Amino acid sequence: MTDPRLEWLDDPVTRRQVLRGALSGAVVLGAGGVLGACGGDDDGGGGGGGGTPAESGGKLKTGGALRVGATGGGAKDSIDAHRPTVDTDIMRCWNLYESLAVRTPDFSELQMLVAESIEAEKSPKTWTVRLKEGVTFHNGKPVTADDVIFSLRRILDPKDPKVGAASIGYVEEKKLKKMDERTVRITLEFANAGFPDDVGQYFNAIVPTDYDPKNPVGTGPFQYKSFTAGQQSEFTKYADYWEEGKPYVDSLTIIDFPDDTARTNALLGGQVDVIDNLPAAQLQNVKSNPNLRVLSSKTGAWQPFTMRVDQAPFDDVRVRQAFRLIVDREQMVQQVLSGQGRIANDLYAPYDPAYADDLPQRQQDLEQAKSLLKQAGREGLSVELVTAPVFQGIVEAAQVFAQQAKGAGVNVKVRKVDSGTFYGDNYLKWTFAQDFWATRVYLSQVAQGDLPESPFNETHWEDPKFIDLIQQARAEVDEGKRADILHEAQTMQYEQGGYIIQYFSNIIDAYSAKLGGFVEAKCGFPFGNYWLKNIGFLA
Amino acid sequence: MSKLIWRRLALGVLTLWLISLIVFAAVLALPGDAATAILGKEATPDRVAALRDQLNLNDSVVSQYLQWIGGVVTGSFGESAATQQPVSELLSERVGNSLFLVLIASLVAIPLSIALGVWLAMKRDRPADHIGSTVSLVLAALPEFVIGIGLVLLFATSVFQWFPAVSLLAPGERAWEAPKYVVLPAATLVLAVTPYISRIMRGSMIEVLESEYVTMARLKGLSERTVIWRHAVPNAIVPAIQVAALQLAWMAGGVVVVEFVFSYPGIGPALVEGVANHDMPVVQTVVMLAAAVYVLMNLVADLATILVTPKLRTAAR
Repeated sequence: MTDPRLEWLDDPVTRRQVLRGALSGAVVLGAGGVLGACGGDDDGGGGGGGGTPAESGGKLKTGGALRVGATGGGAKDSIDAHRPTVDTDIMRCWNLYESLAVRTPDFSELQMLVAESIEAEKSPKTWTVRLKEGVTFHNGKPVTADDVIFSLRRILDPKDPKVGAASIGYVEEKKLKKMDERTVRITLEFANAGFPDDVGQYFNAIVPTDYDPKNPVGTGPFQYKSFTAGQQSEFTKYADYWEEGKPYVDSLTIIDFPDDTARTNALLGGQVDVIDNLPAAQLQNVKSNPNLRVLSSKTGAWQPFTMRVDQAPFDDVRVRQAFRLIVDREQMVQQVLSGQGRIANDLYAPYDPAYADDLPQRQQDLEQAKSLLKQAGREGLSVELVTAPVFQGIVEAAQVFAQQAKGAGVNVKVRKVDSGTFYGDNYLKWTFAQDFWATRVYLSQVAQGDLPESPFNETHWEDPKFIDLIQQARAEVDEGKRADILHEAQTMQYEQGGYIIQYFSNIIDAYSAKLGGFVEAKCGFPFGNYWLKNIGFLA
Repeated sequence: MSKLIWRRLALGVLTLWLISLIVFAAVLALPGDAATAILGKEATPDRVAALRDQLNLNDSVVSQYLQWIGGVVTGSFGESAATQQPVSELLSERVGNSLFLVLIASLVAIPLSIALGVWLAMKRDRPADHIGSTVSLVLAALPEFVIGIGLVLLFATSVFQWFPAVSLLAPGERAWEAPKYVVLPAATLVLAVTPYISRIMRGSMIEVLESEYVTMARLKGLSERTVIWRHAVPNAIVPAIQVAALQLAWMAGGVVVVEFVFSYPGIGPALVEGVANHDMPVVQTVVMLAAAVYVLMNLVADLATILVTPKLRTAAR
């Protein structure tokens, strides 16, 4: 393989372009500092930039070695199928393992992977999983019912619950039953029509009964070669992968980058072929490089402000509504995300078929906010907003909010703490703080954060009527009827909830112009579900 | 002489012990603890409780410290809280990489800055001297990460693509097997320390060049080269040795920032991550290593000063 850096030197045109790029400010100087940057100077999201969207990029060839720069990573990296926590872990999981099913990158349907079907019996309390024929683990062994039962038990293990336990904790572990080699019956503690989506998450991967994380085996498009925590992991193409013609590349190397600047520099310098999570502030710099492409995808990822509905001043619904009216959402998107996002309406799960998009878009209304605060006897309110640099743009959003709140006579003191404090003893107990969430369908998100038993109920939202609606919806198999119930639940949240959801942020992939196969996705994961099986070198 | 060395070594051990107390207290003073830092967003109360138990974070502070120092005395640096791997295993390759980086940087920086200092002294008050002084002041004033980013822009990403922007050593690959990854980090360190050494060398050289014995040597008709290198430099070099040693000692810590800029797999990223994870054994070990280098370099500087100064050399017997 020739060294791309040398080609640069030999090509005067490229050199000149590079120099011009450098002079026009194509530089990456540290991360952060997005406040006030690039006011209106952007695409307002959507695909493209630096060229045409990737789908028009031409035919992909088979072969080649793909090097991916992943966000973060460190000594506590894991390659365990059921313990992904950081971006690098998640990327490895998507490519090495597979779950029964998963939402497609465009979030339109639940695509069956290891499973052939996941169907409810008479009521959505009991489910039958039928496995696809011909799906094999990397060691050649076909996937059987025993493997599914083993995997679910490993996730649910009460002594050592894995990441997925929060999503399918209601599965009756003792009642898992093998019907035949390719069929499993799963019984739930309560009826839940949303079960296929809950189990169809990347962290609920199917692994063989003799699974050993030290020599990990899965059914994914790439098989394990090596793994060094905090540095990199290597994979090779799994030749017997069930999807015809995939993956395109022969080998895959995932490299850790704890620092955003270093990751971008590695791409600019040709040391990696593709990176995920390009910070919006660096978008222009990468775009102006003729050898690189960027793809900005709209997602359902949200980074809300969390108001505790059981604590003053937010125990008064008028204060909560006033705070939601304070936000100038468009300004937030421009200033915090450099335009790489779109405004939201204090509701999550925009890609759920039942999303209540008919509720009027909330706009900034300072007069109304003031009047609500006055009614609540909270004029001249002063509150502390706890923030931490735990996700791109969160701290900046807090600062912009404090600025906007002044317009309603509210004094917001931004208290920036480090992540250790944020996730310390007060975690999930802060009166007014922030958080970040991935794209989910509505009921899965509710299970994560809006029920009394949810592991992350940060707004302490425990409304009996809401709980009742959710139980009804879970038991309802008829989609139309379920959507009606969920609409009512969302209306409650819209009128009384503790979240301020100001925007859905975009996710930006940046990659070498030699690559193709990138398609705009909604799932909120880089490269559409991290699926590097779809990426290849242009023929 | 040997008595002096032993006394200084004993003092050094005492210093290291005091530093271990301070670092321990500092890590404890960080808000949160290893359990919440490691779990992050997943820090639900039951998972935190389970991890605290596993990491012995519920033991008293004194017993945690005694456990750690007991290990050090018996030659074990403990296990990393984040990975449950022995710290020695986690750091051994990284220490090698960092030492190699510092070594290369010093091998370039010290001769270069001494030669530069001598040359500037000879060109005193001429344009070259003014330019040299200004540039070295600017470099000295710039934080080393700014120098590092500047070098990346110039030589790796935006202008030329001569060297890798990020030091991506493959796992198990050592720095000396892939020298291209060492160039820019080492150059950053060189640019960071050269101004100090060359300025002190220039200053003391000017002083020596004005002394009577140099005038005498010149009157004697010795060649300028002999005057400078045989008579002036050996006398002017003493302050430079002290400063060079201090700069080398500084590098043991400064390397942390430079390594982070280049994602160079040395002790730097390990320390940054250790602090983020409140990973006491890792932080302690890295800081102790840097401190030990500091103490040793100071000792070496003093010994070198004694050896090149006849008066001290004879007195120390």
